[in-house]
Amino acid sequence: MTILRRSIAAMLLATAASPAFAEDITINYITFSAAPNYIEELEATIAAFEAEHPGVDVKYETAGWDAYFTKLQTMVAANKAPDTFELNYENFVTYAQKGALLDLGPLMTADPGFDAGVYNPTALAAFAQDGKQYGLVESFSNVVLFYNKDLFDAAGVAYPTADWTWKEELEAAQKLTDASKGVWGDFAPIQFWEFYKTIAQNGGSILSPDKQTVTIDSAQNVETLTWMIDKVNTYKVTPSDVDMAGQASEDLFKAGKIAMLRTGIWLLGDFAQNAKFNWDIALEPGNTQKAHHFFSNGVAVSANSAHPQEAYEWVKFLTSSKAAVDIRVAAGWELPAVSDTAAVQGYLDQAVPESREVVFQALDTAVVPPVVGNWNQLTDAVGKELDAAKLGQKTPEQALADAKVAIEALL
Amino acid sequence: MDAVTDRSKYLALAVLLLPSLIGMFTFLMLPVISSFVLSFTEWDMIGEIGWVGFDNYLAALADPAVQAALRNTLVYIVGYLPAVVAIALGLALLLNRRIKGRVVFRAIYFVPVVTSWVAVSLIWKWQLNPQYGLINFALSLIGIKGPGWLFDPSWAMAGVILTSIWKDIGFVTVIYLAGLQEIPEPLYEAAALDGATPWQRFWSITWPMLAPTTFFVTTISLISSFQVFDQVWVMTQGGPAGATSVMVELIYKNAFSYFRMGYASAISWILFALIFAVTIAQNLLQKRLDRSDG
Amino acid sequence: MADAATLVDNPVSVIARQPRPGLRLSDLATYALLATGSVVMLLPFAWTVSTSLKTAGATFVTPPELLPAPATLDNYVKVFDSAPVGQFLFNSILVSVTSTALMVLFCAMSGYAFARIQFKGRELLFYAYLATLMIPQQVTLTPLFIIMNFLGWTNTYQALILPSSFGAFGTFLLRQFFLRLPREIEEAAFMDGAGYVRIFFTIAIHLARPALATLAVFAFMASWNSFLWPLIITSDQSMMTLPLGLSFLQGRWSTDWNVLMAGTVIGTLPIIALYVFAQKYIIQSLSHTGLK
Repeated sequence: MTILRRSIAAMLLATAASPAFAEDITINYITFSAAPNYIEELEATIAAFEAEHPGVDVKYETAGWDAYFTKLQTMVAANKAPDTFELNYENFVTYAQKGALLDLGPLMTADPGFDAGVYNPTALAAFAQDGKQYGLVESFSNVVLFYNKDLFDAAGVAYPTADWTWKEELEAAQKLTDASKGVWGDFAPIQFWEFYKTIAQNGGSILSPDKQTVTIDSAQNVETLTWMIDKVNTYKVTPSDVDMAGQASEDLFKAGKIAMLRTGIWLLGDFAQNAKFNWDIALEPGNTQKAHHFFSNGVAVSANSAHPQEAYEWVKFLTSSKAAVDIRVAAGWELPAVSDTAAVQGYLDQAVPESREVVFQALDTAVVPPVVGNWNQLTDAVGKELDAAKLGQKTPEQALADAKVAIEALL
Repeated sequence: MDAVTDRSKYLALAVLLLPSLIGMFTFLMLPVISSFVLSFTEWDMIGEIGWVGFDNYLAALADPAVQAALRNTLVYIVGYLPAVVAIALGLALLLNRRIKGRVVFRAIYFVPVVTSWVAVSLIWKWQLNPQYGLINFALSLIGIKGPGWLFDPSWAMAGVILTSIWKDIGFVTVIYLAGLQEIPEPLYEAAALDGATPWQRFWSITWPMLAPTTFFVTTISLISSFQVFDQVWVMTQGGPAGATSVMVELIYKNAFSYFRMGYASAISWILFALIFAVTIAQNLLQKRLDRSDG
Repeated sequence: MADAATLVDNPVSVIARQPRPGLRLSDLATYALLATGSVVMLLPFAWTVSTSLKTAGATFVTPPELLPAPATLDNYVKVFDSAPVGQFLFNSILVSVTSTALMVLFCAMSGYAFARIQFKGRELLFYAYLATLMIPQQVTLTPLFIIMNFLGWTNTYQALILPSSFGAFGTFLLRQFFLRLPREIEEAAFMDGAGYVRIFFTIAIHLARPALATLAVFAFMASWNSFLWPLIITSDQSMMTLPLGLSFLQGRWSTDWNVLMAGTVIGTLPIIALYVFAQKYIIQSLSHTGLK
């Protein structure tokens, strides 16, 4: 009797654990990073996943970045959210706080094959909220200093090193700026995201570490904002919006009109192909300390998904399986946030630019956006004050004081 | 129509009006009614819908962002509407003349209407550039130093208005052309025989006969310019420093960026109330003008 | 001044205006004005076409160059390579043509009904129609999506077509037109015993051709350029319409302007073609309008 019961129990357990079901399960996935350039890579990743998980099909949708959240939110509102979806870090926090995402913790613990160590720990922690793992990190990117070596050579200026501070940057920029040729020494935009990183380079922040107090109006921040604006108005090493004539900074860099540019590593491929001069990257100079952006995309499972187990398998595969990581690195489709440096060796081995390791060095001094609820309202409000300061409508002090009031109203 | 019985009238309505009514109700009126209901709620699109009564409306009316957006929207309307109607009418009169090649001209003036806003905003941002753009260059030829346009909070809206007028002229002209076509030629011939000057012909024949068209054009343009959005979104994103923030831009941000669908709906309905009031006022004004004409 | 009513024996007897021989001063002035205006009107589109034919480096030079040198069709090839543009075009054409045809029919019928048939609550209902024009799309999108989801119509052609097939603008336009129409012909037909429906389909709709052609152009344009709704309602790339498909040419971080402009040109040409066709149709139809 006992033997029979035990074997029946074993049989039941076996069928329960097997991933193959009578009919195919379809998992929906929506993404913004795949279109337009990486559709093939996404499809290859899906094919590899489906090969490993017979009985599960992944159906993907794409939307351009600008309209992505309009679409996603409408679907969520209509209770028709896809099983899995991509989220950038900033929106992830809001979705997690509002309960739209599934806590992956139980699934991770119950999964014998899962090893959290496969992920870069900082990156993985970014997608946890209140101690629960609501998403898996898919990729990361950051911002570094790009510089035009030819322009440096022509002006007789030494290349940026890791020891540079704002002082050296300004001195170099002044030597590199040549108004007669329309060449500008330096560029960093005066907008919210650049701002919260730049103030970190001077020891400042938008919010206190516990996010309870607003610290945006500190003296160091005023100093930082003044420096950012002075580069345009006083030292004239950075073009103003009017000077840019509607062109993007990367276009000007490619045209050889900007000597030093703080911009994202997502442009490495573009510059490698289209910049017809010698260039390289370096760590961003800080003032009292170094700080670099940390942007990250993750994938989450909808709290209402009908197939949480399969959805989890898919997001796990997409973010950390060897197949997915290899496809990503080979295509330059953002950087997977895995801890295995050998996996990203392919990325490091590419010839241009020489100092590719800077990308990983910058992770040591990463500044994560201080996301709180009402994040988008916060970025808009602060952005408006930065605009006013940029235009000279308000002094940096006044602008940041007003920004503090606006943020406090939102917290 | 005494000859028409009630039954045949309602049968006619069933055939002629019902299809439109069913479609309008399902795809347009129902969503509108839903948005009205939503305006009394707080909903972040993800969680539950919570009833808040009139809170959204009270908050919106006191919200400086809403007030600023409303101000900017009114500035837009005042700058855009009279100009578009007047220029389009003039253009329609020109294009209605018996000149060769007017089909080609009509097509040319319609091209901006069909050109996408992405392309239009790119070009116009360039042309409005204070240093390199054609507009300030042309102004400098007559000795005026052009303003900062889209980079200057005091002039950004003017830049948006200019671009909008340029883009929409063709649209209004087409409607005016259709109206002009309906004015019977014999009227003009009789007037010419009577010795009327072109100016007199315009005021006694053209302008009154165009009244229904003008009413239509003004109403539609009012309704749409209260809801101006696309051009602001692509040209200035509401900047610089909020100088071109308009009502629908605020609604869009609240609905899809700030997770405040209820609040966005309330703002929409405040906007609706304004548009409706202005439309009715314009309707009454038109009726009074018509009556005084006799 | 002569009385309009006595002069007009046929309500819509607009004789086709043929160009008069000879060139008068006023005609010259007209040409001059129109030609200057034309340059202003066409410049941006000319730039669009020009950019679509340029290579990447040549786009953002100052001073801006209008003529592409060298000119290349690569960007157009790239557009077709980067996305199933043929499928997008097919979807756009199917959706726009169908919704335009439906819109013209439904608006003509309802416009006539509002103009000619007296019924209780007519004014109120018409204002209800107008009211739908006064609420921005941004807040009606989500409820509409929920309705479509409820009907099980997400990612279907009918969901793309039907919301564009109804609109107060068209009803308003046609109502105004029918209001202006002198009633003599209809009254004669009523005497003969015809009902509203027969009069509409045999008489009114033919008289309304200029207005119908005008509406067709606007309806087609609105449907063709529609972006936000197709974005939300489609989930397969095979269902996407052209503006939606082309939006992917604008990357998150950077945009290939030349390819984007090529896509824009592809998206714009059908409407211009339709407009030119409709213009000729309007003028033609007027010259054929006469007494019965």
